[in-house]
Amino acid sequence: MNASAVVFYILSAFILATGLLAVTSRKIFRTAIWLLFSLTGVAGLYFWLGMQFIAAVQVVVYVGGIVVLIIFSIFLTQQSGKDLPSPLRRRTVFSALAACIGFALTCLLLSRYSSFRVKESDYDFAPDMSISAIGNQLLSTSEHGYVLPFEVISILLLAAMIGCIVIAMKSKPGDK
Amino acid sequence: MAFLRTYLSDIYHGARSLLKGMKLTGYYFTHRKEIITQQYPDNKAEMKLPERFRGEVVMLHDENNEHACTGCTACELACPNGTIKIITKIETSPDGKKKKALDTFIYHLELCTMCNLCIQACPTDAIKMAQNFEHSVYDRSQLTKNLNKPGSKIREGVE
Amino acid sequence: MLSIENITHSIDVWLYGTFNPTAALLLESLIVGLCAITLFAVLGLVLVLMERKVSAYMQIRLGPNRVGPGGALQTVADTLKLAMKEGLTPDGADKFLFNLAPFMVIVVAMLILVPVAFAKGTQIWDINIGVLYISAVSSLSVIGILMAGWASNNKYSLLGAMRSGAQIVSYELSAGLSIISIVTLTGSLRISDIIDSQQDGWWLFKGHIPAMISFVIFIIAVTAETNRAPFDLAEAESELTAGFHTEYSGMKFALFFLAEYVNIFIVCAIAATLFLGGWMPLHIGHWTAFNHAMDYIPSSLWFIGKTFFLIFVIMWFRWTFPRLRIDQLLSLEWKYLLPLSLFNLLLMTLISIKGWHF
Repeated sequence: MNASAVVFYILSAFILATGLLAVTSRKIFRTAIWLLFSLTGVAGLYFWLGMQFIAAVQVVVYVGGIVVLIIFSIFLTQQSGKDLPSPLRRRTVFSALAACIGFALTCLLLSRYSSFRVKESDYDFAPDMSISAIGNQLLSTSEHGYVLPFEVISILLLAAMIGCIVIAMKSKPGDK
Repeated sequence: MAFLRTYLSDIYHGARSLLKGMKLTGYYFTHRKEIITQQYPDNKAEMKLPERFRGEVVMLHDENNEHACTGCTACELACPNGTIKIITKIETSPDGKKKKALDTFIYHLELCTMCNLCIQACPTDAIKMAQNFEHSVYDRSQLTKNLNKPGSKIREGVE
Repeated sequence: MLSIENITHSIDVWLYGTFNPTAALLLESLIVGLCAITLFAVLGLVLVLMERKVSAYMQIRLGPNRVGPGGALQTVADTLKLAMKEGLTPDGADKFLFNLAPFMVIVVAMLILVPVAFAKGTQIWDINIGVLYISAVSSLSVIGILMAGWASNNKYSLLGAMRSGAQIVSYELSAGLSIISIVTLTGSLRISDIIDSQQDGWWLFKGHIPAMISFVIFIIAVTAETNRAPFDLAEAESELTAGFHTEYSGMKFALFFLAEYVNIFIVCAIAATLFLGGWMPLHIGHWTAFNHAMDYIPSSLWFIGKTFFLIFVIMWFRWTFPRLRIDQLLSLEWKYLLPLSLFNLLLMTLISIKGWHF
């Protein structure tokens, strides 16, 4: 086991432990913080893989965006510091079952389709992960370009933005 | 277009007023001679207090040990927190007239807020604010002062 | 010539020559960590003293002048005092998060330090995504503040934290857009590339008016992001006692205080890197003689000089302007800075496509 593997296991243990704490904690704010740590751990895993752009995007979107949004909604809605009621026994059993089945399915798929496995030869395959390559790919119109999904998502976001503005806009008194 | 013009002029005027403020603080930053701090215990000899600084109430006495207080108690009435207590006596003048005069002017420094109302109330300008501010003593009773000097009397001609 | 680059290089060579690669890497990380902590401590001491002196002179006062020569040891004495104080945890607080929050804030500040180039060839990790990494990690600092505000179980803290959150989330946008407008000129996010591209002049001068506008917007946005006056609503003394760190005392308070000053240093270092060329000496086009003369000043001095100049400017803001109200703060961002920086980005793209910059 080399240093890289040690880092991987530490990161994975961190992600799993904080993820478990996030679902078992009785305090809603702590849950959000554990989720934050879990997502940061995933970003760390991306850094470990050398995928720095994805790692940074993970931090920007999930940690800086979504978790902050979650925390804000907790601030605005929840009673401070009160414990959540513990869930129904039935619900606990079912969610544990669902998690187990999902894990089993993932394992099954991974073992069935060995093409997902990392072969020794794959270690030499280093895709061009520089940010300009990603940018070119994202806007390229050639065969493997992503310009169409990019534009579709842009329009979706634009629609969402306009919707937000329309909802938030106060109508002036007098023009009903 | 009108909207854009007001928008841009808002930005221009905002930036200009901010820069004006920064110019003033920048001037103070670069000009050390403007500093008004006095390093108090070190500069006791050449310390300069502002003209209107109020330290304590004193009664003015001239070289003949005479003051201008008639004992009218206007200051005592003007004082909002009972700092001044005036004890008067009846004096008989050489020509046999009886006249009220000051006996003791008691001033409680520990109650005084230096509000200057007594000085404004005084009709004969007998008292004024002094600039002495080193008032700390070990015993509270030392703060109760007698403002008229022993043996002093009212100046001739002050009514 | 003795430079920081040579020193770090010789240490690197010696370590790898003496130990096996893993141990050498670990030792190097340890040294870098120690250097970062030392830098933090020194920055805290120097910047707090600088702030107090600058504020004093701007308010026609003298400032601290009793401890040490000219008051130079004042902050050391203050730190000693803080270290002696009791670190109180309030009864109703969420103890775990309350104690975690200051460390979270300081760790985030340390993480942002990673891609900053302190001198020629002196950088902890010249990461491919440089400035994106910085803006990503700096968005984490809001979490520590929100955590502190919530865990204190205090209304002032919660209000301060919420204000701070709204403020940081909004001003990140214009800071990011200003960064992007420089990135359109350099074509790279890597800090070393950005600095190299300023070999013949700093972007502030090479990029015409759009670069200046984005510089101003960036300075305003980072002042808001670091919760400095005139944007210090998160800890507005007159309304919220001390905002999110109302309940903190002793060393935990000191960590918040330290993080604030380190964050100022880092954002000023980034502004210096993006707009004023980082450690790059003042070069003007092809004036070779002038450029050579400028090269005699060590690169680390250039970097420190520029950074401290920007820190001084931000302090100048603080001691000149009155605090904004929360609605003014948000309308400044959403109605003025954001549209301006979007428009500015378009202009900058045009300039960079047409090659109008120098």
